[in-house]
Formats: sequence, structure tokens, C-alpha cells
Amino acid sequence: MRLLVIEDESRIAEVLRPALEQAGFAVDFVHLCADGRAALASHTYDAAILDLGLPDGDGLDLLAELRSRGDGVPILVLTARDAVDDRVCGLDTGADDYLVKPFAIAELVARTKALLRRPGAALGIVLIAGNIRFDTVGRDVLVGPNYVQLHRRECAILEHLMRRLGRVVPKAVLEDKLYGIDEELESNAIPVHIHHLRRKLLDAGAEVEIHTVRGVGYLLTEKKTS
Amino acid sequence: MRIWLRSLEGSLAVRLGLLYLLAMAFAVGALLYQAYDTAGSLNDRDLNLRATDLARYVVLGPDHTPQLELPPKLATAYETGSSDLYAVRSQDGRVIAASPRSFGVVVSDWPAPSDEASYFRLKAFGPDVQDYHGASVSVPSVAGPLSVFVGRIAEGSLLAHSLLREFMVDAAWLIPLFMVITLATGKYAISAGLKPVRQISEMAAAIGPGNTAVRLPEHDLPGELVPLVGAVNRALDRLAQGFAVQREFTANAAHELRTPLTIITAALDTMPGDGGLTKLKSDVARMNRIVEQLLRVARLDAVGLDVSGKVDLNAVAEGVVAAMAPLALAQDRMIAFLPADPPVHVRGNAGAIEDAIRNLVENAVAHTSSHSEVTVDVAPDGSVTVADEGPGIAPEHRQHVFQRFWRGKGAPNGGAGLGLAIVKEVADAHHATIHVDDSLAGRGARFTMRFSPWLDAHHTAELAEPVGT
Repeated sequence: MRLLVIEDESRIAEVLRPALEQAGFAVDFVHLCADGRAALASHTYDAAILDLGLPDGDGLDLLAELRSRGDGVPILVLTARDAVDDRVCGLDTGADDYLVKPFAIAELVARTKALLRRPGAALGIVLIAGNIRFDTVGRDVLVGPNYVQLHRRECAILEHLMRRLGRVVPKAVLEDKLYGIDEELESNAIPVHIHHLRRKLLDAGAEVEIHTVRGVGYLLTEKKTS
Repeated sequence: MRIWLRSLEGSLAVRLGLLYLLAMAFAVGALLYQAYDTAGSLNDRDLNLRATDLARYVVLGPDHTPQLELPPKLATAYETGSSDLYAVRSQDGRVIAASPRSFGVVVSDWPAPSDEASYFRLKAFGPDVQDYHGASVSVPSVAGPLSVFVGRIAEGSLLAHSLLREFMVDAAWLIPLFMVITLATGKYAISAGLKPVRQISEMAAAIGPGNTAVRLPEHDLPGELVPLVGAVNRALDRLAQGFAVQREFTANAAHELRTPLTIITAALDTMPGDGGLTKLKSDVARMNRIVEQLLRVARLDAVGLDVSGKVDLNAVAEGVVAAMAPLALAQDRMIAFLPADPPVHVRGNAGAIEDAIRNLVENAVAHTSSHSEVTVDVAPDGSVTVADEGPGIAPEHRQHVFQRFWRGKGAPNGGAGLGLAIVKEVADAHHATIHVDDSLAGRGARFTMRFSPWLDAHHTAELAEPVGT
């Protein structure tokens, strides 16, 4: 996995490099918009991390330029500016995700991995959470060394939860993705599937938990190791 | 009515009305004066004619003395008791004739008049004790120039009275009518003339912190208003510049503070270490939080909020709950969201309302007991309630919790005491109410913010207001 980081603050680059390399990425660092543009044009990156305030221009302009060219490389925006304005502006311009400084390194690594998990980011990928491995092509679910038999819809729910590991997946999103417009949807259909999924994962000894956020949706977390 | 009188329109109309009354009074006065004047001169002419008449009836008697021989008709008219009197004096000062006789006595020592008539007044004269007005004139006759004095009772301004009466009947009733018409046209003209002022006021009213770029048009204005509007526009320029400077300052401060904090946070994250490092990390996390909240307060103070937007309260609250849930779960707390059904829209600034709810949730998660649930409840009346299951807030502290940097005794470390102050500022900027009490369960604190529901007719009528502190 090759990553481009466009960040002018050399101290931040210094601390990011070992963390990202430890997470298994090959990382290129550049300090300027122009260098970033050149690097993206000459190499293929799996994702890019883009700081907004760069000495030779605004990161958002570079982002808009890439998107208008049809370059779909997943981009995580870093910003030290006011969150509310940038959130709207950055996501409109085509950022896939954003992080407001200061951030925890672990969060940055997790978000970067999440970018790569997105549908379309790469073809056959394996999602990992705790000791679960989910092959999105073969639709195989492994807990530790053992396969787990899941119903088609349970499988789809697990995929969505794993793609947004650690973040809430709204129940409405699951209903949308799992059921066609014409299909009858029982009001407790999703909770029933979640219930079964929980039971099956627990029985298989999965080191994850599916939490219910009442009124919003569900959230998959890795069990605390402590 | 009082407001109208104090308005430009009202005061102009009142002044115009008063001016009109004054002009009216002056015109009537002039008319009266002229009427009396005309009546007087008619009277004088009459007296002169009679004097000439009397002289015509003077004849020379057999002893060459002048005598007055009035025709019987005239003589009867001049008899005692009539309203007229006369006296004729010859050149040598002898009174030839007089009616009544006492008048002859009175005039006997008067100076001889000239050819030009002179006029006199006789007060309380005669048997009836009347005032008389008369003329004395020298008139030629067969017996040479004679001094003739004629008089008439002074109440004889009858002519003037009749003139006035005629004026009153024919013209005076028109005065109030004219006045009403004048005032009505005056009011219409003034209000039409002030229309640009009203239009400009409406434009000015729409200017808020959210749209500082609007300037009032200086063309097509009454000349008197141009300097005022120009001055207001220049003041707006300065205000906008002030806002821009403040915005830039908070943005720069944010950048300058966050960059080193990012470096420290990231460096600590990647550093191998033990318990000491963990403590240091939590210290830095606390620093991050405080800086974040200070910046948020500074932004609220400096920038002012455009609170004229339409906000889906369910969507905002759900977003906050979704974003906060992982953090809460990491601390073994749960969050539940109870949406309003049907969804409710309120007037406000979505970002600021989100900020406020997030601060309430952060506060609730920090205080609720382990494994308990924080609920975020949106109601159809436009209120958001965040309830926890912690120790609650003692009634005597409830008025302090919204003060900046106030922290309760049992407050967990990590906060700067700014979260609820931010909530309060956001609520104030929205004219929303905020209320603290106990949770329904009887334990834990419950915060309720109520916003103004969105009414579709509303959004053009009311205005954005800056945040007051």
C-alpha cells in the first residue's frame, strides 16, 4: 500500500512517518502543493493525506483539481482550521474523510485504513476487525481459523459494520442498503438480524462487540484487550 | 399614535397642520380688517354727502343771515331721538342750525374745519348717552363757506357685520374642509416622499453578522439622506473589517495552537513508554480539549452567528449522537437518541446547535455513572433534552454551571469549564431557553434547550443577531 502525505510541517511529517510505516504503508512525503501534484501525476498511490494550509497554495484547490480531472484517489484531509467550515468545504470538494488537528496517530492510521476499505478503493480486499477476517469477494467470514455460516443479510450487515469499524452505522443506512425499494420491511427486521449476528459471532468466539446506539444505529468495536 | 407622532411623517404632518392654521387665522384676520376698513370708508362717504346736502339747504334770509331750510321730510328724519345729528356754523362762528340743540353747543367752540373732511368721535353724548362718529367739513354755500358737522351713532358698523355674516355663510364652512383635504394630501405626499427611507430601513434590517457584505444603495435617494446612508455604509465597512480581522485572528490562533499540539500528540503516541507516558498523554489530551473550547468561545465572541437558517433538529442531534457514541462506549457509557416524530425544524445555525448539543453530551458522558445511558431527546416543540444518570447538579449550583471556567467540586479532570458556557452562548444567540433540572428518574442532571420552531413565513421577517456577551 503506497501512501502520499502532503504536509508542510516537517515535525508532523517526522512523527507520522514511523507510525504509518509501522502500519505497513510505503509513504512518500512532500511539502508543497506543486510537489504533491507532480507526485500524484507520476505515481499511482492507494491513498493520499492532504494538509490544507500549504505554503504554495490551498490544499482544497489541489483537491478540486484532482477531482475535476477524474482522479478518484482516496484522500484524507488534515486541517488546523475551524472544523465546521472546513468540514462542509472539504467534503464538498471531494475529500473522502477529514481529521481536525490535533489528532491521535491511532485515529489517523485507522481512518487511512478505512479509506482503503471503501468499496471501489480496491477490488478484492479482506476486512479485518479483531480476529474476524471478511473476504468481500468470496463473502467468507473467518473467526480465528474457523469459517462462520452467516445468512446473506447478516453477512451484508457485518460488511457495513466492518467497513466503518469503530463508527456508528445508522439503522436507516442498513435498511437502505439491504432492502430494495419494493421489499416489505418489517420494523424489527434489522434488530433481528443483528441479534442473530451477535449470537453467531459470540458463539464463534469473535473478539468484537456490536453495540446498539438506541435511536441511531449500530457500531462494531474490537474488544478491549486489557 | 404616539409612535406615529414621533415619526418624521407625523411631526411633518403636525407642523404642516399648525402652519396651515396660522395662515388661515392670518387670512381671516386680514379679511376682517378689510371688511371694517371698507365699511368705514363707506360710512365716511355717506357723512360727506350729508354734509354737502345740508349746505345745499342753507339760504340767505331777509336780513342776509344764512338760514337752514330743510325740506319737511328731512327735518322729520333729523328730529331728536334719531340716530343722526348735525350742526351748521357760519363763517363768523355762529351756529345757524343744530339737531339736537346741545350738539350746536358742543361744536360752537370747535375749530373751523378745512375742505378736507376730518372725523371725530363723540362719547356718551345726548339724551340716550350714545357714542357718535362724525365728520366735520367746510362746504361752500350761497352764504359762503360753512362749517358742517354731521354724526351718526357709532354702532353703525352694521355694514361690516353684514359683510362678515355673508362671508361666514358663503365661505367659512369651507375652511375645515380645506384643512382636512390639505392634511390628507400632505400626509400622502410626505409618506410617498419617505418611501425610500422605509426601503432602506428594510435593507439595513437584513444586515447581520452572516452577511456583512451588504451595503445600502446611495443612488435614487432624497438628497438629505445621501450623507446619512454614506456614513452608515462607511460604518458597515469598518464593522465588516473588524469582523474579518477577528475571524482571521481566531483562524490564525487556531492554526498556530493546533500545529504544535498535533506534533506533541503524535510524538507521544509513537513514543514507547510506561505509566508516566500515559499520564503525559492524558495531560496533552486535556490541553487539546481546553484549546479547542477556548477557540470555540473566541469564535462565538468574535464572529457572531447567522441564526437565520432552517435546521433539522433530528438530523443534527442524531449526527452528534453517532459521532459521540464510540467515545462514550470506550468509557463504558451508552448514548441513546430519541427523535421527534414528526421531525422538527428550528431557526438557527446548524453548526452552532451541533456544537451546543455536543457539549451537553460530552458533559453528560463525563458525569454519568459507568454502564449507564445518556439520552438525547428531541421533542416536536423544538427542544433538545440531554439527560444523564450521574450525581446531578445541586439546585444552588444550577445558576453557576453556565459561567465560563466554573467547575463543580466533583468535576472530572479534563474539562476547562467552558463546555456549558458555550452551550449558553449558543442558546442566547438563538434566543433559545436553557433549563437544568433533575432527570425524570430522579437521579442525574437534565438539560433542556428550546429553540424557536421554523415557520415558513418567518425567515424573511426576522433578523440575524450577533452574539452578545
